[in-house]
Amino acid sequence: MLKDIRAGLADIRRGLSSWRTWRMLAWNDVRRRYRRSGLGQFWLTLSMAATIGGLGYVYSHLFGVDVSTYLPYIAVTFAAWSLISTAVIESCNALSEGDLLRQIPLPRSLFACRVIARNLIIAAHNVVIIPIVFIWFHVGINANILWLVLGLGLLVVNAFWIGYFLSILCARFRDIPQIVSSIMQVVFFVTPVIYLPEQLAQRSVSFLKWNPFANLLEVVRDPILGMVPSQWAITNCVLMAIVGLAVVVPFAGHYAPRVVYWL
Amino acid sequence: MPAIALKDVCVDLPIYNSRGRSLKSVLAQTVGGGVADDRDRSVVVIRALDHVSLHLEHGDRVALIGANGSGKTTLLRVMAQIYPPTHGIADIIGRIACLTDINVGMDLEATGYENIRMRGVLLGLTQKEIAKLVPDVAEFTELGEYLKLPIRCYSQGMMLRLAFGISTAMRPEIILLDEIIGVGDRSFADKARQRLKDLIESASILVLASHDPNIVTQNCSSAIWLSHGRVVEYGPSAEILDRYAKGAQPP
Repeated sequence: MLKDIRAGLADIRRGLSSWRTWRMLAWNDVRRRYRRSGLGQFWLTLSMAATIGGLGYVYSHLFGVDVSTYLPYIAVTFAAWSLISTAVIESCNALSEGDLLRQIPLPRSLFACRVIARNLIIAAHNVVIIPIVFIWFHVGINANILWLVLGLGLLVVNAFWIGYFLSILCARFRDIPQIVSSIMQVVFFVTPVIYLPEQLAQRSVSFLKWNPFANLLEVVRDPILGMVPSQWAITNCVLMAIVGLAVVVPFAGHYAPRVVYWL
Repeated sequence: MPAIALKDVCVDLPIYNSRGRSLKSVLAQTVGGGVADDRDRSVVVIRALDHVSLHLEHGDRVALIGANGSGKTTLLRVMAQIYPPTHGIADIIGRIACLTDINVGMDLEATGYENIRMRGVLLGLTQKEIAKLVPDVAEFTELGEYLKLPIRCYSQGMMLRLAFGISTAMRPEIILLDEIIGVGDRSFADKARQRLKDLIESASILVLASHDPNIVTQNCSSAIWLSHGRVVEYGPSAEILDRYAKGAQPP
């Protein structure tokens, strides 16, 4: 057990210290996707704009919410949610795609970092929408935006352990990527991405509190919308990060070296 | 000092079919009671290396010979630290270059220059080392302006030149080679041979897996004869080759 913990920590340390490698791989992933298109990676921005515009228009009517409050809201939640969900879903194939591990002895955690870095780069393209929407609807930001630093930090740490765990598990069991994407589909509906949390609260539905993804979403969403994330959400995200890392470190220490035999 | 020390190394390669890989079947077994691996018929385990012990140090030029599937490539991968031994200890000290696949990490959509830099980063080179790498590879490959194009428009020969050029640009202490790589047309092949020769001569340890007796005698002073993952014999290359050619049974 102690040996596994040490091995797991060593793999994470080596992964983090090869940041130049995962940064390069992540950028190349993004570039490759849009290599021969005219607009390049700004297709990301455009398609996000289309989604938010369309959803904002339809659902604000459907829910009977004012467009000027609803659209800024989903602009933020959608950007945050797509970061969370694609990071989780894509980390399933982080180790099993490509042949790198069979040729170069790279730390396994590097691949989880690559997936997160790639999705942060993509998110950086998506958030361009937010200031545009905010200016359009005269929504201001305030000093609470500083909480975003903490929120993003919690998001990244949690995405890291989830991704690290899934990448190893999915290398061994090839059904799990499918299971994970179905689960994320369900999670999407039980997380306040397209609806406002108050809408559920009015109907005295309180499961959101216990949805870790809703908590993660809150810690990055609220600061942008000018609110302080609830203490409950922050505590939960911190706890989740601690418990998650405590589980994943010995797990990875034990199984990560073997991954190369499963590819 | 670069060194390779293998102590009682075994590598067991599990071959999972779709049943063995699926979670359902593992859950079913767990629920059913017996989780022991040997009862699980869907996982075939191949012992690719069987209790291999070796000690190589500075100046060693070793050939790996043996039939297909005798464990040559697996042994190279253990030495490259790609395969962690499933049993035993592998201690490898020194900068390693494993030339088992010279195309590793190449991206067809990226340009020649980008590919050179990407490989440099993958191999953990510093920014400075990469800056030196680029002109060296450019000069060697003679690809000129083509390096600015995505490598998907390269001919097979050009692609091979680039891959070879990048792979042989490092100055490793330990070189692990799977067959001598030959590249391109007559004049370029000579240049490539010379480059590989320089690389091998400057290295501290060479391990070369090959089927060609001439290449083995030219490059290696000793040889390891592998069969079914076991070391049959280890000694001077001429002697081992001779016995291997006669198909002698292990004494």
